[in-house]
Amino acid sequence: MKLKKYFVRALHRLQKGPGYTYKELLVWYCDNTNTHGPKRIIKEGPKKKFVWFFLTLLFASLVFWQWGILINTYLSYNVTSSLSIGFKTMKFPAVTVCNANPFKYSEVKPLLKELDKLIEAALERILQPTQGDSILPLPLNSSDNISETLDLRLWNQIPLVLIDEHDKDHPVIVDIFETNQTGPGNQTAAPPDTSNTTSEEKKYKLAVKLCSHEGSNDCIYRNFTSAAQAVTEWYILQSTSILSKVPLQERIRMGYQAEDMILACLYGAEPCNYKNFTQIYHPDHGNCYIFNWGMDEEALNSSNPGAEFGLKLILDISQQDYIPYLSSAAGARLMLHQQKSFPFLKDQGIYAMAGTETSIGVLVDELERMGYPYSDCTMNGSDVPVKNLYSEYNTSYSIQACLRSCFQNRMVEICGCGHYMFPLPEGVNYCNNEDNPGWAYCYSSLRSSIGHRQFCIDSCKETCNDTQYKMTISMADWPSEASEDWIFHILSYERDMSTNVTLDRNGIIKLNIYFQEYNYRTISESAATTIVWLLSSLGGQFGFWMGGSVLCLIEFGEIIIDSLWITIINVISWCKGLKQKRAQARYPDAPPTVSELVEAHTNLGFQHEDSRAPPSGATCRDEALPPEPGTPPPNYDSLRVQPLDVLDVDSDAE
Amino acid sequence: AAMAPRKKITAKIKKTLPVTGPQAPTLSELMKWYCLNTNTHGCRRIVVSRGRLRRFIWILLTLSAVGLILWQCAELLMNYYSASVSVTVQFQKLPFPAVTICNINPYKYSAMKDYLSELDRETKNALETFYGFSEGKSKVRRSVGDGNSTGSELFQQIPLLKFEDFSKTVIDLHSGQKRKIEGKVFHKDSSIVNSGDSNDIIGFQLCDANNSSECALYTFSSGVNAIQEWYKLHYMNIMAQIPLETKEKLSYSADDLILTCFFDGLSCDKRHFTRFHHPLHGNCYTFNSGENETILSTSTGGSEYGLHVVLYIDEADYNPFLVTSTGAKIIVHDQNEYPFIEDIGTEIETAAATSIGMHFTRSRKLSKPYSDCTETGADIPVENLYNKSYSLQICLHSCFQKAMVESCGCAQYAQPLPAGAEYCNYKKNPNWMYCYYRLHEKFVKEQLGCQQICKDACSFKEWALTTSIAQWPSAVSEDWMLRVLSWDKGQKINKKLNKTDLANLMVFYEDLNERFISENPANTLVILLSNFGGQLGLWMSCSVVCVIEIVEVFFIDSLSIVMRRQWQKAKKWWNGRKRKQGGKPSQESELERHGHENPVCIDEDLPTFNTALRLPLPQESPLPRTPPPNYSTLRLENSSAFTEQLPDTLDVGQH
Repeated sequence: MKLKKYFVRALHRLQKGPGYTYKELLVWYCDNTNTHGPKRIIKEGPKKKFVWFFLTLLFASLVFWQWGILINTYLSYNVTSSLSIGFKTMKFPAVTVCNANPFKYSEVKPLLKELDKLIEAALERILQPTQGDSILPLPLNSSDNISETLDLRLWNQIPLVLIDEHDKDHPVIVDIFETNQTGPGNQTAAPPDTSNTTSEEKKYKLAVKLCSHEGSNDCIYRNFTSAAQAVTEWYILQSTSILSKVPLQERIRMGYQAEDMILACLYGAEPCNYKNFTQIYHPDHGNCYIFNWGMDEEALNSSNPGAEFGLKLILDISQQDYIPYLSSAAGARLMLHQQKSFPFLKDQGIYAMAGTETSIGVLVDELERMGYPYSDCTMNGSDVPVKNLYSEYNTSYSIQACLRSCFQNRMVEICGCGHYMFPLPEGVNYCNNEDNPGWAYCYSSLRSSIGHRQFCIDSCKETCNDTQYKMTISMADWPSEASEDWIFHILSYERDMSTNVTLDRNGIIKLNIYFQEYNYRTISESAATTIVWLLSSLGGQFGFWMGGSVLCLIEFGEIIIDSLWITIINVISWCKGLKQKRAQARYPDAPPTVSELVEAHTNLGFQHEDSRAPPSGATCRDEALPPEPGTPPPNYDSLRVQPLDVLDVDSDAE
Repeated sequence: AAMAPRKKITAKIKKTLPVTGPQAPTLSELMKWYCLNTNTHGCRRIVVSRGRLRRFIWILLTLSAVGLILWQCAELLMNYYSASVSVTVQFQKLPFPAVTICNINPYKYSAMKDYLSELDRETKNALETFYGFSEGKSKVRRSVGDGNSTGSELFQQIPLLKFEDFSKTVIDLHSGQKRKIEGKVFHKDSSIVNSGDSNDIIGFQLCDANNSSECALYTFSSGVNAIQEWYKLHYMNIMAQIPLETKEKLSYSADDLILTCFFDGLSCDKRHFTRFHHPLHGNCYTFNSGENETILSTSTGGSEYGLHVVLYIDEADYNPFLVTSTGAKIIVHDQNEYPFIEDIGTEIETAAATSIGMHFTRSRKLSKPYSDCTETGADIPVENLYNKSYSLQICLHSCFQKAMVESCGCAQYAQPLPAGAEYCNYKKNPNWMYCYYRLHEKFVKEQLGCQQICKDACSFKEWALTTSIAQWPSAVSEDWMLRVLSWDKGQKINKKLNKTDLANLMVFYEDLNERFISENPANTLVILLSNFGGQLGLWMSCSVVCVIEIVEVFFIDSLSIVMRRQWQKAKKWWNGRKRKQGGKPSQESELERHGHENPVCIDEDLPTFNTALRLPLPQESPLPRTPPPNYSTLRLENSSAFTEQLPDTLDVGQH
């Protein structure tokens, strides 16, 4: 029933509007549409009709093509950047200061005593001058008794070996202490050609022997072109193993204390002291102190450029208390970073040299990016599949934190223990030689694995807001020779409450950190193509080529619906016609079909058309057509009268 | 039976479709037709409005809308070639740049003794004469020959001169005699004559060998500068005569310079370095030069994973006059770039660990027509003498060298040789110094045109460096470090290295974020057209169709009307003459008057717009069934309404 209702309605619409056939519909559409092209098709002569038809098609395809381009552009989510430079009151960056040396040697000496003895003895062996043509560090004649006193168990876990490359094809590997079960002196005979006396070229290489577990044959030799490098690497591996067993509290105690390290502090005109610094334990550098971290208190603002309004610090790094083999560079390590972010000093830290005044002018270089889908970055790291181990410090996500967490997670997965340099996941211990004899081997292979690194790079995302502190660093000698005496005196007095001078040039550092005249440079992204942009461009294109608008599209849709109705009517009439044919076979006189009934009504659209059409050549030509027999003239005429007033109204409206 | 209505409708369409354009016999009618039927807004209002004021206002509005459209579209066109900048950051594995390391001292002084002894003696002589500096006071580095050999003539040609009390009296270094320099010799424009009351002005004089009166005088406020400049002048002369192979041997070898090397957590050695001979800095070594098609990359940031080298700077073997500072120079550059180490190198201190953190930025500019930059340098008329990719610096140097070869006949020592040229030296080109100094002055003053010819490159890579220094080795590690490094240097040397002979250098990426700054065209053709469409639509609801209409109506149709008119006039005139001649008033003239309505008269090639005119006039004979009476009344009404409405437009149109 409902269908019938719709059907009747459609019939009505077709009656009043576009007509019964596709052609009628098209003509009606062309004449009445607001799009510019089609109107001209029906208005002109045959040649022009063709031209206009062609033009309309051309323009329509142009419009669609350009729309495609525009939508593509929109979907590529381009961004435009705007740059702003200037000075404004900004949060002063968090300043982390550390000593390049992690622990006071005087404190850790008991722990490292054995190790130091070992390396000293080993160096003694290596460096003893070549005696004639004998192979270098041997024999052990004089040092037999020394080797007794050494803790060779420690040595054997990760031994240093000497690779003799006199014979390029058969390098001979010599353990420096010859502590194999076979006893000393056995392998000494091994090197075959000692006659080669051309000592011009370096023939010996140091290497670190790493085995998957002690005594096994699954070993790799990490060789170094430089003995200095080899010794440092070896020492770091060994000391890591020793220190990882020490509880955190103890490690903090062994490091530099704030009151010893930070001698003077001045922020702008306000005095500050070591209590304004937050202590953090950093595995590379021991105790680090962060000024203005913003964890518990509000971050400080700086509203003036220049050194007068910045942070001034005097530090003491007490170079005499350095661990000799661990860090060869002496100085303070400092880093400027954002509030609530973890300082990754190895990556972005800079050195400050002892005995100098280092001035650092800061420009905050910010990059504010839009998140997905404009660029592949993360706002807070919550969508990164790596568990952030640095969240225990309450710090925000950063790419460095992600990479390190990723490494540590892999390390725990593969080696079964965590590396001392990174925070621990829950329920895991740091690696040490006793519990994990093969850890150094495991760590070394993991570290040099390209595949693993790529895995971490792929799983970590950079943050959307990237802030760099661009530093202009300049240095001068400090204190000057003339002022040296009284400055050392006062600082020593203040720290140690004694009149003895306990400081010297090798330990004292002055730092000035301040904003430059222009203290920020912000590059912020904004979407190059918004939905408004898209719509106005689409409208522009449609308007430019065809003068169309959304309404024109709706019109077009309407016409399609109409044509659908026409199709339905045609199908029905065809069906009826079929029936009729069958019926005709029975009854000679057929009842009126649907189409005949439809035809019985006149079409408003057509009359409208007719009325406008001048009695031109077309009509003349039409004469040639034979009068259609099926049309009954009387009702045609009578219907004609009706639309007159409608037309009148129309023409008035024009 | 179903076909019946369709047939009827086809007939109707046939009737309707060929409805042709305006039956415009005159321009005014054409205009009226256009205004009524055009798709643009505004025009219609002009025709439809009643009252002069209103019509006038509508004309004004329409015209101003047209004006606005033209103005805005012109603006759009003019801003078409503008660029917008986008900055993208990508976190990824980064290619490590090439790092070129040079010793500040170019050649081992001990090895250069044979070549430089005369020059050194001359310099010492000058120091003693002018400043009373005798070698006894300084620490004697080596004995430079014995005083018995006579000074070279070459040095006498361009001696150091000392001016007394700013007069034109000078003391010649060699003769020790005072002599006067004639007034005309002074070229004030070419000499940086310093003011001041110093009575010890020292300098040298360069003369044109062919024309001795043409001289330029170079003076310096300080003897330090004067002696160094003068030394360098002669030094370049001497070096220009030494073949490249010899020079490479005189300079430092990779083993000499690089003591330890560590990259990305792994040991490296001299095989990772490529030798590169720099005319002023001797042998330089480039790490990761991409020589064997492999470029190392970093997948972890931080100081541990970068390049870490310890350099051996043999301070004792420095040339005392040529270089006065100690250390190394490094430059971070792309593998395809030429390292202009003398221009933009960073100096590295000895006895210190220099840590250099890098940030990588890639920039790209749009070339023509957006900005005046060059992609490959192929469109620059200066031959690239360096066999590296184009840069502004390369262009300027090549341009200068070209000018030098052209005007002085030989090439300057600090730049590569063009084909077929050779380096300048006294023996072959006694005049080159004067020539060089004049040319260099011209170059600096932008008179050579090099700065105009050379354009900057469109894309470039930049490594922003953050340099910081720490003491190295630390007081407690100094002892073992120096011992081990001495062992590294070679077992035969028993002497311990001095820490001032060593420099520790770390070059690493601070983070693996690559910033890519690129210019993009702010407009594309699509967007330009969209904007046009927006403007046209906003002011007049116009489109390309309207533009075609305008062209059609205002150019083709009105032209044809005018043509027809003229043709009729001509015909009328012809007929008139004929009638005068023949004297018979023919009926033809009657027809001629309505010639435009006569299909016979109309040119076949006229556009279809007027095809209606070609057609026979509507015949009065009523067609069977089609035109009912009310139809024609409607039409009549319409036309009469127009004629009443627009008398003035008609008048205007008819001229």
